[in-house]
Amino acid sequence: MSANRPVTPSTLNIKDLPWQILWDKEKCTLCGRCTAVCPVHSLELGVFRKRIIETNIEVNHSSSNAFKVYHGIRQKTDPQHSCVGCAMCTMACPNDAILPGRSDEADKLVYHNNQGGQPRRRGGRRNVPGGVLDQIKFIRISMLTDPALDAGRHEFELRTLLGRVLPPEENLKHIKENGWIPPVREIYPLIIGGMSFGALSPAMWEGLQMGVAYLNEELNMPVRMCTGEGGCPPRILRSRFLQYVILQIASGYFGWDEIIHAIPDMKVDPCAVEIKYGQGAKPGDGGLLMWYKVNKLIAAIRGVPAGVNLPSPPTHQTQYSIEEAVAKMTQSMYMAWGFRVPVYPKISASSTSLAVLNNLTRNAYAAGLAIDGEDGGTGAAYNVSMNTMGHPIASNIRDSYLNLAALGKQNEIPLFAGGGAGKTGNLAANAAALIMLGASGVQIGKYIMQAAAGCLGSESDRCNICNVGLCPKGITSQDPRLYRRLNSEDVAQRVVDVFLSFDTELKKIVAPLGRSTSLPIGMSDALGINDYHTAKRLNIKYVV
Amino acid sequence: MNNKAYFQIAGKEEGFRIESRILEERVQDAVEKGERRIEIQAFGQQGIGGRLWKAGSESVHVVIKGQAGQRVGSLGFPNTFIEVMGPASDDVGWLNAGSQIVVHGNAGNGLANAMAQGKIFVAGNIGARGMTMTKSNPRFDPPEIWVLGSVGDYFGEFMAGGIAVICGVEPQDPENVLGYRPLVGMVGGKIYFRGPHSGYSDADAKQVPISDEDWNWFAESLKTYLDHINRKELFKTLSVREDWQLLVARTPQEKGGVENRSMSAFKADVWDKELGRGGMIGDLTTMDRSPIPLIPTSELRRFVPVWENRKYTAPCEGTCPTGIPVHKRWRLVREGRIDEAVDLALEYTPFPATICGYLCPNPCMQACTRRISSMIPIDIKELGKASINAGTPDFPAQSGKKIAVIGGGPAGISVAWQLRKAGHEAVIYDTEETLGGKMVLVIPESRIPGDILSAELERISSVISHVHLKQKPGRQETERLKGDYDFLVIAAGAQKPRTLPIPGKERMIPSLDFLMKSKKDDIDPGKKIVIIGAGNVGCDVATEAGRLGAESITLIDVQEPASFGKEREDAESYGAVFKWPCFTREITEEGVVLQTGELLSADTVVISIGDLPDIDFLPKSVEIKDGFVKVDEFFRTSDPKIFAIGDVVKPGILSDVIGAGRKAAEAIITTLRGEKPSAESADMIDTDRIKMEYFDPRITGFDDIDQCGSQCSSCGNCRDCGICVAICPQAAISREDLGEGEYQYIVDDSRCIGCGFCAGACPCGIWDLIENEPMG
Repeated sequence: MSANRPVTPSTLNIKDLPWQILWDKEKCTLCGRCTAVCPVHSLELGVFRKRIIETNIEVNHSSSNAFKVYHGIRQKTDPQHSCVGCAMCTMACPNDAILPGRSDEADKLVYHNNQGGQPRRRGGRRNVPGGVLDQIKFIRISMLTDPALDAGRHEFELRTLLGRVLPPEENLKHIKENGWIPPVREIYPLIIGGMSFGALSPAMWEGLQMGVAYLNEELNMPVRMCTGEGGCPPRILRSRFLQYVILQIASGYFGWDEIIHAIPDMKVDPCAVEIKYGQGAKPGDGGLLMWYKVNKLIAAIRGVPAGVNLPSPPTHQTQYSIEEAVAKMTQSMYMAWGFRVPVYPKISASSTSLAVLNNLTRNAYAAGLAIDGEDGGTGAAYNVSMNTMGHPIASNIRDSYLNLAALGKQNEIPLFAGGGAGKTGNLAANAAALIMLGASGVQIGKYIMQAAAGCLGSESDRCNICNVGLCPKGITSQDPRLYRRLNSEDVAQRVVDVFLSFDTELKKIVAPLGRSTSLPIGMSDALGINDYHTAKRLNIKYVV
Repeated sequence: MNNKAYFQIAGKEEGFRIESRILEERVQDAVEKGERRIEIQAFGQQGIGGRLWKAGSESVHVVIKGQAGQRVGSLGFPNTFIEVMGPASDDVGWLNAGSQIVVHGNAGNGLANAMAQGKIFVAGNIGARGMTMTKSNPRFDPPEIWVLGSVGDYFGEFMAGGIAVICGVEPQDPENVLGYRPLVGMVGGKIYFRGPHSGYSDADAKQVPISDEDWNWFAESLKTYLDHINRKELFKTLSVREDWQLLVARTPQEKGGVENRSMSAFKADVWDKELGRGGMIGDLTTMDRSPIPLIPTSELRRFVPVWENRKYTAPCEGTCPTGIPVHKRWRLVREGRIDEAVDLALEYTPFPATICGYLCPNPCMQACTRRISSMIPIDIKELGKASINAGTPDFPAQSGKKIAVIGGGPAGISVAWQLRKAGHEAVIYDTEETLGGKMVLVIPESRIPGDILSAELERISSVISHVHLKQKPGRQETERLKGDYDFLVIAAGAQKPRTLPIPGKERMIPSLDFLMKSKKDDIDPGKKIVIIGAGNVGCDVATEAGRLGAESITLIDVQEPASFGKEREDAESYGAVFKWPCFTREITEEGVVLQTGELLSADTVVISIGDLPDIDFLPKSVEIKDGFVKVDEFFRTSDPKIFAIGDVVKPGILSDVIGAGRKAAEAIITTLRGEKPSAESADMIDTDRIKMEYFDPRITGFDDIDQCGSQCSSCGNCRDCGICVAICPQAAISREDLGEGEYQYIVDDSRCIGCGFCAGACPCGIWDLIENEPMG
């Protein structure tokens, strides 16, 4: 583009963009890898002119000038092609000659990424760094008081229960009157939350499933993974690996005909069924799998034609209340597997969470409640939904737990917390904090994408192009040219690494509390924070 | 044992148990006083027998009877020999630094915890956490413990040195002599054991064969042990080498972790086995899903380059109303084919010299991509002027189709020229004796040298029929022509001057009349002339008036004059004054009176505010709109047999009417072929694709035609420079000669990585980088 172009209100220069490409002419060999790999095509070869002036101040000697042309890497400045900071150029560069740098001031692109009246949409997580979970400390360390346990030496049985745990007398009553008691699963307290086959690439999804299977079968860790809303490959449905899978049903109902057809052939029951009512990172905004991600494969698994947009509305059309939802869908899902499979709803953390929870306490079919907080997130949504809608998980899970405690049911309905655990990498600490605030288990999504597959996204808006299927790591793309960059075996190995190291770290936290065989669910006397108001709000200790 | 030989210390005094502190003081006191054989009647006192350093290098023998408390021999010294005559409590030999302790019974938990030297011989079983945290200091012999039966749970945790021997004789648990989870965190030492076990920390310890050296040491030491616990009879039973196993710590290098199944083995042996070939979705797709590198080639490239030579129109060609491919002429110049470059223009216009070289304001130069970069446009004028020497092309034999053209001006000549070139007979009807219309009649010689124009008209006259009408045709005659010919083209121009309805309007001379007369030097403008209407025609009038002697030349307009280019420059060179806004009230003998009352005195007043076509002669079937003939994009009127071009349709510059003639001719030719005319034209190239950086921005003028050719960026049309071949990092691009001067650049897909360097480097914007075909 000519430097002498007429400017429009949305004509930006490199300084206006959030990311600047720093290119080193000295190191560059003009190999073309950076421009070839850039997912958003924001790099191109540029032709530059260099002027050399030879001067001579002597009389009768003339000065001269000459132009030389050189080639180099140029960054595009139009909003559609602005650099997303993924640094794949750096990854591909053989000479470390290129690197995106974050702008040293507020970018101007933010005012222009609504061209044509279309607000910005993106993939990834909430663009807000930090959070309360990282500030919580574990202050109750057994010093010759409780039996001090050694995380490295002692045996641990870190398990949690998924399912309705009725008091013994009620269980007896249930058996007597109904011939049935609610099914309960003993599972690992860290769960891979719902990310659909479709949102994730085949390589990523298979990697996650394979890693989970490995953890279960080789390492005896009963880790579970939720399918997200997009069905489940028929082969998994008909394999013993199904027992490690939580099937999700949500407002788009994708893939459920394939699941239903597979029921007669199932070797094992699925772990559970999760009914999704909301996603923490974008409550009120539905899901949308764009047509270009709906290839033949995705279409086959979801039971839809290829190449069409697949919206999941923010609401379930036929259900208008939680009572109705529990009465209709929960029961139907129980019926599908002869009342052997726990069924629980997942909601966005919200100031209305308690209303949902209170309804669940009155229904023995409710196997738990998963609450998804605003942080983290892996979905594609409007920027405004992702950044401003939602409720932090900490106080929401705390309120819910204390509410159950007030009802005397804190051990009956397990709460599962999600949304921001491990946001800054402190997964075990965040998960332990959530557990001690009252969660029976913790769901992770964003963290596993980063840790198991090398997702480049960040809370400061790096990459975050999952929604358009251009994931440069092949995690969220359905394009074989991208997802074949990811090897499912490598992902599986990383899943194993993540869970093993998480396990050690969790032990390092719970052992000094004297816990080795029961999770410290709701053990809030172990928690402290150096903010008075937060301490008061969460009903934990204020420590300075 | 001779009691008398031992100094007696009682643990009870006057019926009360004495404190551990008191007992310790009494033992230390006795040793200080020289007692070397001490017998203690213990009542659970702790730490008996430790710390007896006061005896120096002399041995101290301590016999404990009764109930030994915890920590017998703790912090023990090498001079100390302790014998517990029954079972011992917890932590025997805690932090032992050398004493030898014999326990004639079972011992409790924590035996030898943190012991660094010395030996403990136990004649029974021991409790949990034995031999934990033991050390081995190279300055001393390693610590040893010997257990006759079995050890309790968590044996040997964090054991860093020493030797433990577990004989498995009457063990507490006959199924497991090592207890539950032994050797977690073990980093050094050896464990000899005999009997069954239920596993140990595989991550920390490993079993090794017993070497001869080890066995020799063992057999010798076994005798000593059995001797101390008075069980010599067991030697035969315990000295069967095959019964013994030896465990040692893994080295840090060996502790890499438990050998788990590799993920690829898991995938092959577990995952794919359960799911079937191809894993999770092997039943749904047969597509290759194997991992690929970041920068692949061939069909795995995300982008592919395309060579789009001549796909888009260059700005010069695209803006030329006549549609002349100007860049192509410069290419021919670059190739040294200057004659062809000159001749090429006649394909498009019969007036390449007159118009391109003189009369045209050259939109091609206005649009030249170089101007975007503030560089001077390539000068077409010179090439235009050179076209006077263009060779007349060969015209084909006539097809028998005949087209009548009314009007012998540039529009009529253009359409006739193109039709004739296509082999059809075009007959021009005009009221003038010579062809050329306004070009001949009204345009001043200052703008077009007469010899140039007549040379081109001569070239035209040699091939085009011309019927000289004595008077303007009427409607009937036009109808007749329409019947006689296959098509009729109206190119009669606009000659009816627009005028102003003001007093004295009869005093105004229409500009066309003035120019026609001035060209023949047949008018005297006087000293003062006022021209109403300051457009380019007004400028021509001013120039001619100047030439003919006018000294005061004023052009007035109601708005800022729209005149430009050479016409305006010429007028200004005669000192013409432009005034606006001026509204004329009346024309008097004195001159022009404005509505303000101002008088612009004038000998001659010329009105030059445009001309309207004469439409009276047109058949009724031809629809008129706002005084002009209405045509479609192919210049067809509402009468399918009649076309109209030029000023009868819309006022325009000369190149517009030449282009209209060409387009109308094309439509007629196509229609005659029995086809529908089509208006498909290529899009203009996006000038962002052109790289002006290759050209010198400081050029302020061109020396010659060759320099023009070299500085033309040849937008959208390959210069054949080969920069793409040079820039391609993969050497994937090559030039393919197609013969007859044709060529193309091709990409080797198996080498190309889709970097787009070709597109980035191409000076002409030929290469583009597009997304590869969707996959999967």
